[in-house]
Amino acid sequence: MTENLDRRRLLTSAVVGSAALAGATALGSLAPEAAFAAGEQAIEPGAPDPNFAEGRITGISAGMLFVTGSDTALWRIRITGGTSIWKLRPTTFEQVAVGDGLYARGLRLPDGTLAADSVWVNIVNVHAHIAAIGRNLLHLDHKGKRIVGHLVPGTSAARYNNTPAVSDMSMLRVGKHVQVIGAWVPDTNEVQIATVYANA
Amino acid sequence: MAALTGTMSWFCCGNSWGPCGTAGHGACGTCNSGSFQHAWPNASAACFNITRPDACGVTMSRRGCGFRHYTTNRCNGKRVGTTIADCGPQTDLWCGERACCGSVCGTNRIVDLTPAAYSQIASLSSGLQPCSVDTV
Repeated sequence: MTENLDRRRLLTSAVVGSAALAGATALGSLAPEAAFAAGEQAIEPGAPDPNFAEGRITGISAGMLFVTGSDTALWRIRITGGTSIWKLRPTTFEQVAVGDGLYARGLRLPDGTLAADSVWVNIVNVHAHIAAIGRNLLHLDHKGKRIVGHLVPGTSAARYNNTPAVSDMSMLRVGKHVQVIGAWVPDTNEVQIATVYANA
Repeated sequence: MAALTGTMSWFCCGNSWGPCGTAGHGACGTCNSGSFQHAWPNASAACFNITRPDACGVTMSRRGCGFRHYTTNRCNGKRVGTTIADCGPQTDLWCGERACCGSVCGTNRIVDLTPAAYSQIASLSSGLQPCSVDTV
């Protein structure tokens, strides 16, 4: 049995109240890079994944996120001590707010809730051109619309081709194409930038 | 067919929120972020003329909507099966770009997965990973 399968089973058990989740971290890292679901794919290629949710948060209560999917599906997403949460950076449940958008991966339980392994809050992956550069700002053209990207000192990083992520943004150029991983500021055209990929 | 190696990222499609809200259902008209689907740079002649993987020295077969590929994250060996639902990535914008984890590297963008598919084999926050793409 794999470590990840062990982890998922423990997570499920914890959600249904039959096990203490405190031991989850003993099975390995709970960082986003390690916490995504594992195991053989049971879903047909091309089909919707019942263990994945998308939408905007309409309510938060007792470790549960109530989410309305963009396709109007209603989700109840259970956050446990083993859930990794990303919102610009790895963060905690307290930072999640009503109105945020999200993607979540976990395990659908018999009661219809999704026991979340990972939740990515407001995450966007934007391919755009740099229209202008300001102080801690990138103005991006994205499919004919303007997005304002905020550089967050201590968090935002750039990767130039094959370099490691660095805080130095000086090689970014107006007119160049970039890929931006960031956190959308709800109901605006603004994002906070986590990583800029640029083919310098 | 030998597996094609390169890099993978993710993209949103279908009904969505934020900057993805205007994404639409992709070139095939079937794309949804919550489904196991992907974009392929040679999904049609018109698609190929935009993405031009050949400009980066990448040769890839033309495969249309619904074709099944299996993408492996070369950082962890995890694999996901998906079907073509859109045209992309625009490989020629990123010629020579590499993504590495340790000594394992991929060069040139060859596939974009939906969030559901990408998150099956990597964290969405990782953005870009070395991968291989196969048909079985």
